[in-house]
Formats: sequence, structure tokens, C-alpha cells
Amino acid sequence: MLGQSALFLVTSSSAIVVLFIFYFIIRDAIPFFQLEGIKEFFTSARWYPSASPGEYGTLAIFIGSGLVTLGAIALAMPMGIAAAVCLSDILPFSIRQTIKPIIEVLAAIPSVAFGFFALVVFAPLLQESGGRILAVITWLLGLPAGGLLVIVLADLITGRIREDRRNGARAVLFVCFGGAVIGLLTLISSRLNDVEISSGTNALNVSIILGIMAMPTIVSVSEDALQAVGRELREGSYALGATRAETILKVVIPAAGSGIIAAVILGIMRVIGETMVVWMASGNAAQIPEPWYNILEPVRTLTATIAGDMGEADQVMGSARYHVLFAMAFILLAFSFLSNLASEWIVLRSRRKVGG
Amino acid sequence: MRIGTRKLIDRSFSGLGFFSVALMGLAVLVILAPIITRGLGAFVFKGTVEFRRMQLENFERGHREAIEKEILQAAAARKPVYAMIETFKSEIDSMKINEKLRYRKQLKEVEGDIAVLLGPKPGDPRRVLPRQQYGQTRWDRAQVKLRQVIFRTEYDYSDTASMGTEVFVPRANDFAGTALAGLFPYLEEHIEEMLAPRITFYPRFLSDISIDSHLFGGIRAEVLGTLFLAIGAMFFALPMGVLSAVYLVEYSREGRIISLLRTCVSTLAGVPSIVFALFGLAFFINTMKVTESKSVLAGSLTLACLILPTVIRASEEALRAVPNTYREASMSLGAGKWRTIVTVVLPAAIPGILTGTVISLGRAAGETAPIIFTAAVSVGEPLNLFKAKFWEVLSQPTPALPWNIYNLCTEHEAVDEIRHVQYGMVLTLVLLVLVLNTTAIIMRARISRKLKG
Amino acid sequence: MLLAQSRLTLTGLLILGLALAGLTGVHAEETRIIVDGSTTVGPIAKAFAEYYMGLHPDVQITVSESGSGNGAKSLINGTCEIADMSRFMKENEFAAAVEKGIMPVAHVVAMDGLPIIVHPSNPVSGLTVEQVRDIYVGKITNWNQVGGPDKKIVVVSRDTNSGTYETFENLVMNKEKMAESVEYVGSNGAARQRVQSTPSAIGYAGLGFVDQTVKALDINGITPNQSTVSSGVYPIARPLYMFTNGYPKLGSHIHAFVTLHLTKDGQEIIEAIGFIPVTAY
Repeated sequence: MLGQSALFLVTSSSAIVVLFIFYFIIRDAIPFFQLEGIKEFFTSARWYPSASPGEYGTLAIFIGSGLVTLGAIALAMPMGIAAAVCLSDILPFSIRQTIKPIIEVLAAIPSVAFGFFALVVFAPLLQESGGRILAVITWLLGLPAGGLLVIVLADLITGRIREDRRNGARAVLFVCFGGAVIGLLTLISSRLNDVEISSGTNALNVSIILGIMAMPTIVSVSEDALQAVGRELREGSYALGATRAETILKVVIPAAGSGIIAAVILGIMRVIGETMVVWMASGNAAQIPEPWYNILEPVRTLTATIAGDMGEADQVMGSARYHVLFAMAFILLAFSFLSNLASEWIVLRSRRKVGG
Repeated sequence: MRIGTRKLIDRSFSGLGFFSVALMGLAVLVILAPIITRGLGAFVFKGTVEFRRMQLENFERGHREAIEKEILQAAAARKPVYAMIETFKSEIDSMKINEKLRYRKQLKEVEGDIAVLLGPKPGDPRRVLPRQQYGQTRWDRAQVKLRQVIFRTEYDYSDTASMGTEVFVPRANDFAGTALAGLFPYLEEHIEEMLAPRITFYPRFLSDISIDSHLFGGIRAEVLGTLFLAIGAMFFALPMGVLSAVYLVEYSREGRIISLLRTCVSTLAGVPSIVFALFGLAFFINTMKVTESKSVLAGSLTLACLILPTVIRASEEALRAVPNTYREASMSLGAGKWRTIVTVVLPAAIPGILTGTVISLGRAAGETAPIIFTAAVSVGEPLNLFKAKFWEVLSQPTPALPWNIYNLCTEHEAVDEIRHVQYGMVLTLVLLVLVLNTTAIIMRARISRKLKG
Repeated sequence: MLLAQSRLTLTGLLILGLALAGLTGVHAEETRIIVDGSTTVGPIAKAFAEYYMGLHPDVQITVSESGSGNGAKSLINGTCEIADMSRFMKENEFAAAVEKGIMPVAHVVAMDGLPIIVHPSNPVSGLTVEQVRDIYVGKITNWNQVGGPDKKIVVVSRDTNSGTYETFENLVMNKEKMAESVEYVGSNGAARQRVQSTPSAIGYAGLGFVDQTVKALDINGITPNQSTVSSGVYPIARPLYMFTNGYPKLGSHIHAFVTLHLTKDGQEIIEAIGFIPVTAY
């Protein structure tokens, strides 16, 4: 019994660490709100911690964090889920075994190496030929997607026409839609081609790098969720004559939905909590980009602000300038805590549904 | 919808999946390619005679007679350069005043650039800073510097609508008709004799101390610091993690307390690393005062908190993978629960636990944020267990790979001169982590084979 | 059961606390010198440290470059022996030090100018202090407003925790606040790098960090170089400091370290790195 209690004590050490982290962060965060109040912190975008009197509006920094996270997840979520589906349902087992290590390697590369790549290799590249890169990417992604859209649309529209006229009508529609799509792509890519990126360390740069960093998390967690969906569901769907794509989209993904949502939440947490990449390559400008979704502007994130400002001037204990960083850390901590609870709750609820 | 279209959608859907997987592979390649190719440049490169002189004088490495002979040969090849400069100086003395001033200024520039390329002029007093004692140690840098001697960069601002364009003016034009005009073609033709480039294999990059803040030498202090921090973190996290896992798997009955504990573990796993950094600073250094300031110990403790959840989860998995029959057999022979765990379950789970340990080691080695305020400095003595007491080593701050990569590519005064060192550091860190992970992957494959067989 | 477990948790907390308390009380010795602070003074401190450890192998010197403010903080908290600072201590820092029984003493190790740097392809070759201020405040946003081509200005500043930033604020900004679109970089080296890779950028860095890859602008018609800075003609110049707690004991290693800049070798190191020795006057 005694041994068991001792073991329990050791086990609660992780709980104690969590408690301590919360205690120490909150302890140093509260004085800030006592000194400066809450309103300015959340609503003003003026971040001048070194001025006297200092201004501590972190709105721009929150928006910067949000923008970067949005960009990273917009890249990592579709790609990550598609890759997970590919791994769990499409590829044969032997190939899967060879791809798994690649994902692990990607997950294992230290963040400072990503940051180094973003700053030393990627930023100059974006600055010199950013517009061209964006244009090429537009064509690469747009052409297959557009082609598919044209064929499906043509098929849907001509489905109502009499058999003998169908092929002709379809050909006409192909040409019309195809021309429209190619025209649109040309327009977009030429517009992008003329974009001048004045500064390579911007939100786009870090979004791409962070998206790549979040992919392994999303892939491995959603793949586990997809694997957990039994064979029976899949076989039932095939038996009803559904293709593989239909099966996956309409049966498997909904059944694994909660696991996939949990994966995306974990991916978001990974992105929000990343320090080195954003510190090195986001430009650290405490501004709200013009317009707000302009990801070619330098931005500043919470984590980078904490890392960069902690070596803070006049960091005399008790100055608002010191405590504001803890206030930010507290927001980060609360966010990660709530996300974590949310993902756990989602998984739990789905288990009950499946179990009951 | 027609069957054909449905098939097409199906195919394109698979295509999207393949594309995503390929994209991940591509990302790994694109990111690792420059790191590996340029990182290897720190270990294998064309070293010049200056490099060998530096190695000989600082590390007493290489064959003394051979290198001295080389230095003499190089000096003989360089002699005409200095002779031309001397002749030109006496030429200047007999010129008109304004020409005198112009040429003096230009000559000073040329002399400065030549000193950077070839090292100090023979007969000059020995300089204090190593960066002024040697010329270019690497052939690739030497070629960049040679260009700077031969060409003056000017900008053509005639087009007022845009930024100026670079124009390279041959310096030979500046000195046309003087004794110095012959210097530039001579330099270009004989640069190989002056610097004697040779393919150099420099594995000691890992174990050499840095000289003149990484302009020469290697990354011993950083590598050691990283190893100490990672192993130190493991030293604290492993016992706690394994014991926690034992309790969670073997003893706990599902209940509120246990699910709360599990929530805590996953919360800890989700805490951003920069928050760990603040916690480490506020708790281990400012409150507990484990050491007065940054130290290996404080850094290790902070990292231990960070990898604790990983260790717990990996150990839990390993313990759960041990078949129940083992436990039952041990119990039936009359062993108690604790004895069963110690003598049967844990040994069976050790490979799995080790796998988790190895992965966590890699994570601890690569984390930057938590050590910024708790352990890392930009210059410091390499840690040495043989020189100092164990305690002293633990209580001193240290350079470490992740932090110094950041430091060198942003805070160093000669960022471009030491690109190869930065790449070499990144490569070392990435390789360290990848080797650890590969080990883990191989171990895991073996375990699963064993469990199947 | 629940009660028992919570009591156990409490005991556990106590035990853990005691265990950690047992890890305390490690004291540095005489032969260990910790230097912390400014990234501008960093190169000098690093070169001095290597030079000094070469002379005295028994001495261990570690140098961190975390910003002037951090150097002051470390000195106040007693976590470093020498604080590198590229600005003088502020009153509240001084007060906090005195409160803790620390008496900061300044040693001026070198002089530094603060060149305003642009990409060498930029045709603009000089600005006035007012123009520089307007660029940083955001009144001037395009190079064609100061005689350059039609390009948006990318404004780069040092992070707010640096002494270089504070110097710039005092000598250039004149109490006005920087625009929100200003990019912040963590060090002199990073500032130079951003400018050399961005044709339309403007930034500032210590004199020792300026090389051929960037162009230093004439300010009010004065080119920043050794002679204009040391004679005080260049308007944006400042001394660089090392602070110690009290005046170091004569003959101690710390004393030798903070007076190294007065020796012949020390002066040569400072000049080689690109700063101006205090003896140049």
C-alpha cells in the first residue's frame, strides 16, 4: 500500500508541474492587469512597451498569431487529411511502412532548423521571385482542380439531356467552361506574377513553413482515427456500389470525424506554440496588415514577442513591461489548455456515441 | 452522374492523396537538401594553406615540415604582389598632391582587401585577433574575396525610376599606367599558388573548440552542451515518467482522479515551449534558485518538464504491449504484484521504453525556446567532466547547438563569413536527431517482429 | 479514498519541494566570470573573453548576448559579474540595483556610431536626422519622397529591448513613436542582413557591423566613420559600456577584463572589430 501511494505521488508529479506552470504564469500575469487594466490589452493595436508611458495593446500581435495560424492550417489541414486518407485507405501496406518514417523524420526536425531554412533559404527566394512562385503554384493547383470541375459540371448539366445529343452538348460545355477556367487562371497568375514582395520575412513565409511542421501531427492523428473505423463500414459501402472516393467521403470520414477534428486542433496547437520559426522569419512588425488578410506583410506573433522581449529593458520586477509578457504567456497557456480539453471532449463524446 | 465521371472523381481523389504524401516527401527533401549539401561543406571543403597554418598554430595538427614548406612556397608566390605594392608606393611619392591623395586612398583599400585574402603582409607585427592573423582558410570564400580585390563594385543610378544596378569596375583601370596595373592579373593567375587549395576533410569540426567566435575552429562547446542538456533532461524525466506509467498501467483503477491525471499529462504535452521557458526562468532560477543564473541544471530541469509527457506516453504503450499472460504466469508462481512488475513486466517493456526515451532525447536536444533563459550562452567553455567537479559542470551555463544556430545566423558580426559553420551546426543537430529517431524506428520494427514471432 | 489521495498529493508536493530545495546553494567561484547584455558590445566581449582565457587558462568566461536591458537586469539580480550595455543605466534600473545592494559602476570600453544603412543599390546617399525620423514615424513611406525611386520603404528597427534602439530613440526619434509597420530584428547582425537582402530597406546598426554589403548614409552631410565619430561630428554616436558591481578589486580578473580596452592589445581588438577605442581622443 505504501509503495502504491509513493507511485501515485510520482504520477501526480506531472499534474504538479502543470499546476506550478499555471501558478507561476498567473502569478506574474495578474500584476499587469492590476497595473494597466484589461481593456487596452485586448482592444488596442498600439504596442510600444518601451515608451514612457508604455502602450501595451496586443491586438495586432493576436491578429498576427491568428493570421499565421490560419495560413498554416489552410495548407496543412486539407493536405494532412488527404495524406492520412491516402495512407489508411489507398496505399498498400508495404508502401505505407516506407512512408511512415518520412513523416516521423519531418516531425523530428528541430524547429530551429526550420527557422534557419525559412530565414536563410526561403526568405531571399520569396523576395527575389515570390510573384513567380505564387503564379506557378496557382497553375499547378488550379489546372487539375479546374479540369475536374469542368468535367463534373458538364456531366451534371448534360445529365438531363436526351441520349443522342448528349455528347455534342458536352463538348460545347467543355470548351466554354474550359476556356473560362483557363482565362481565370491566367488572370490570377498574371496578377500574382506582378506582386512584389518587399520583404521575404512575412506571414506567408512562416505560414508555409509552419504548415509543413503541422502536417505530421495532423497526418498521424487522423490516420489513427481513420484506422479505427472498422472494415465493416467500408465493406458495406462498397457492397452498395459506392466508389472508393464516395466511401471515404461519405462514410469513413464522417465516422472518424471527431478524431480528425482532434487532429486539426492538435495541429493548431503545434502552430500557435511554435517560437523559433516565427521569431526568425516573420519580420516581427507589430502591425495589423493592410488589408487584414494580406499575408505578404511582416507580422508579429505572441510567442516571438515573448522570446524577443524577455531580454527586456528595465526589466525591474514589477514593471508592466515585464508582466505583459506573462499576460501573453497566460493567454497562450489558457488557449492550449482549452484546445486540449476540447479535443479530449470531442473524442470522448464520439466514443460514447459509438459505444452506446 | 455517369460511371465514367464517378470513376474520374475517384481517381482524382486518389491523386490528391498521392499528391499530399508526395508533397510531404518533397518538403523533407527541399528542407534537408540545402542543409545537407552546404552543411557538409563544414566538414569537407577546399582548404587553403592558411587553413593548414591555422590548424598547425592553434591545434598543433598536421605535418610541421610539410606545412612550413608549403608556407614558404606560398610566400614565394606572394612576393611579387608585395614587391609591386612597394614599387607603387615609391611611385606615388613623386606624384602631384591631388593624385597622391587619390592613389593613397585607393591603395589603402587594395592593401586592406589583400590582407583579408592572403593574411598579414610578411614582416608586419603579429596581430591580436585571429581573424587578422590569417587569410582566407576556405577556397570558396577566397574566391569571393579575390573578386573584391580585382573588381570595385559601383552602382549605376542613372535610371531614376528604379534602384541602381551593380557595375563591376576592374581595379586595374584605376591604376592604369602605374606599377600596380600588373598586380591584378598576377593575382588572378597565381591565386592557386598563393593559397594552395586542397580538398580537406575536417571531421574535427565537431570536436575542435571555436576560435575567434567561430571564424575558425569547430563547435565542440555547442555539441557538448546539447548532449549534456538532453541527457540531463532524460536523467530527471525518465525515472518519473516510467514510474508514472507503471502506476497508470498496473495499479490505477479508472476513476476521476486518474482521468484528471491523464488530462494533466496531455495538457503538459500541449503547453507551448516558450511558456516552459518562462516557467523555467520563474521557477527553477528565480524561485528555487537551483543555480544563481543560467546553468545546465536549470536547462535540464526545464527540458525534463517538457519531455515528461512524451516519456510517460511511450512507457505506457510499452507496458500495455506486454501480454497479460506474463503477469498471470508470474503471479501463479507466487510472486507479488510489485515483484512481478520489477522482474517480469518492466524487463519485457524495456525495448519499448527505450524507443520512447530515444525519441524524447532527440526532442530535448532540438528544443530552443526553453533554454534561451535557462541555460544557453553564446560563448563559453566547453563542458568538461574531467577538468571540473560534476557539480561545477552542472552549475555553469553552456553554448548549445539550437541556440547558437539562432545566435550565429542573426547576432554575429560576420554572418556571411561563417555561413558554413551555421550550416554545419544545423546539419549536426539534424543528424543527431535523425540518428536518434532512426534508431527508434529500427528498434520498434524489431519489437513488433518479436511480439509477432 | 478520495480524501486519502488528496492528502497524499499534498505530502507529495511537500516532498518534491524539499527535494528541489536540496538542489540549491551552488556558488560560482572567483575564476568564473559571467558576461551578459548588449548585442552591440557582444563582439567586443566575445573577443576579449577568448583573448583573456588564452592568457589565463584557469579562468572561465561566458558571454551571453541578450540585450542591454537584460544585462542590467542580470547585474541587478546578481546573476552576472559584468553587464554589457550600449546605453547608460536608467534611473529605475539604478534604483532597483541600489535597493538590492548593488552599486553599478560604468566602464566606457569603446565609442560607437550608429550608421543609418540602406541597400547599396539605393541611389539615396544622404538624409537629415528629421528625414530619418519621418521615415521611422511613417510620414515618409516611399523613397521618391527623399529623392529616390518609386519604391515603398521597408523600415527595419532593432528590437525594443536593445540599447541600440534606445540610443536611436534618444538621438533620432525625439520622443515620437515608430510606425506600426516597422519590422523588428533581434540584433545588429540581423539588421544588416535584412538590409543587404532587401533593396528598398532602411535600418541602423552599430559601426562594427557595417561592411561593403550595405551603404551607410551621410546624416546631415556627415559620413559615419572612425574620425567623424571620434571627433563627435557625426550626430548619432554613443559610448559603449561595461557595468560592474562596485569598482572591481585591483588585480582581480574582473578588473583586468574591464580595463582590457586600455591595453594595446585591447585597443587593437576593438579597432579590428570596427569600433573606436576610447583612447582615440
